[in-house]
Amino acid sequence: MRNRAGLVLALVLAAVVLASLALGDSALRPVEVLQAMLGRGDALNRTIVWDLRLPRTLVGIAVGAGLAASGVTMQAFFRNPLASPGLLGVSAGGALGAVAVLALGLAGGFLAVPAAAIAGAFVATGAVMVLARRGASPGHLLLSGVALNAFFGAGTSFLLALSAGRFEVSGQILFWLMGGIENRTWEHVAIGLPGVLVGCALLLPLGRAMNLLSLGDASAQSLGVDVRRLRWQLIALSTVLTALATAVGGMVGFVGLLVPHLLRLAFGPDHRRLLPLSMIGGAAFVLLCDLPTRFVPGGLRLGVITALIGGPFLLWMLRRNPC
Amino acid sequence: MLSAEGLTLGTRLRDVSLALSGGRGIALVGPNGAGKSTLLQVLAGLLQARGRILWNGRELSAIPYLERGRTLAWLGQESHADFAFPVREVVAQGRHAWGDDGHGVDEAMEALDIRHLAARPITELSGGERRRVYLARALATGAPLQLWDEPAANLDVRHVLEVLRLAQRLAAAGSTLVVSLHDLRTAFRFDEVLVMDQGRLVGHGAPEAVLTPELIASVFQVKAMPGKGLALELP
Repeated sequence: MRNRAGLVLALVLAAVVLASLALGDSALRPVEVLQAMLGRGDALNRTIVWDLRLPRTLVGIAVGAGLAASGVTMQAFFRNPLASPGLLGVSAGGALGAVAVLALGLAGGFLAVPAAAIAGAFVATGAVMVLARRGASPGHLLLSGVALNAFFGAGTSFLLALSAGRFEVSGQILFWLMGGIENRTWEHVAIGLPGVLVGCALLLPLGRAMNLLSLGDASAQSLGVDVRRLRWQLIALSTVLTALATAVGGMVGFVGLLVPHLLRLAFGPDHRRLLPLSMIGGAAFVLLCDLPTRFVPGGLRLGVITALIGGPFLLWMLRRNPC
Repeated sequence: MLSAEGLTLGTRLRDVSLALSGGRGIALVGPNGAGKSTLLQVLAGLLQARGRILWNGRELSAIPYLERGRTLAWLGQESHADFAFPVREVVAQGRHAWGDDGHGVDEAMEALDIRHLAARPITELSGGERRRVYLARALATGAPLQLWDEPAANLDVRHVLEVLRLAQRLAAAGSTLVVSLHDLRTAFRFDEVLVMDQGRLVGHGAPEAVLTPELIASVFQVKAMPGKGLALELP
């Protein structure tokens, strides 16, 4: 059961990766994709795959895996299936950090934007931890998220207004607000992917302890878990994952809520299984949502699609489990 | 062996000292808000208080977490669950500190009469069933020190008696067992009784010696009427 679920999801991810490399303005056949990957075949195809679609796909994997793993972790941490980086305002904090650097013209160095996104996300996480203590009711947690999202959103809007005349800057800021993985370069891959992979690798061995924590702090500690240390590990890793995903993909909403929840319904709450499945499933989900954006120019961006799916999904969840 | 000196935590615990030996079943009684749960949490190392705590003669603060998990099992009052783990997995969590070896998990489920619930999600159980699942998890740890905060809450009368019998067996096998209770008649089934009132330990000894009508009147503000009521036993 466990291995089969992982295998099926891995196959789904492989298929979506192939589609992500093949589909776009000039559609490639699978054979052409493979040839280009191996550095053979048509030179234009090689450019399309290596310079455009592979970075985009790898950034999509980083964004999806990072956000979904972050969501699973926050849900175990807050012992609340409604916790997620988007709803709690951690993504918005990361976006505000990145936007501030862009709007104030500080984005000189290669690492300035991701560093600012990480700083913003940590500020948001700190605020969530103060506003909604662990074990807080879902309503309390969500209202804290509403407050933080409004606050960070207002900051971002202000910076956007400041940059109104400078089209390049305001265009970049709009990118953060809507979220997307188009026009990503290998620089973005370098910022996002290694950190997300390391973060995910560090989370995986914590699944066993997360199971205990998700049934109560005190009981977890009584069973031999160093709860204080575990909590710091979880909150730091989930914040870094969200921040890195936001740094390279902007605000892509609902991935951290929707993917873990569906996988939990299908395969149960065991975090030893749920963590790796969510990483794979999150990557596949983001790449899948990215595909339609290639054929509809203009407004239909990745963050728009995940929100169009995620909004109704959250309403459905709230109907099933009222606060 | 479980001992403590001068435990103090605000007004919740005031200078509590005690020494509890193995092989004894110990009931902890007191009115609401007397500090029973606080005392159990402090003894279990889950809540910081001033004073000293020794587990089997060792200073608690010097014992690493994993070893604590092998030495002492604590059953809390809260038995809520948000995540739908199957019952057997929850009981098996009791073996966390032993590297999840699964040892004694089935026996613990048998002892708490929850084998038939093994595959059910814990979120779908009744309050009393969930209580038995968490008790089974505490039992599965195999820890020689067992602290149970109101294990009888939400249990039907047969399962209360079974839990008491289990407690007696564990104590007879050498465990140090402290069980907080609200039913004073039940306390008489234990070897020793601890009485708490307003954060203080006001009585410790054999139930007959400690739970006198005078003490009951002063601590609980009720009148003890010997010989009244229904006596229940397992068949």
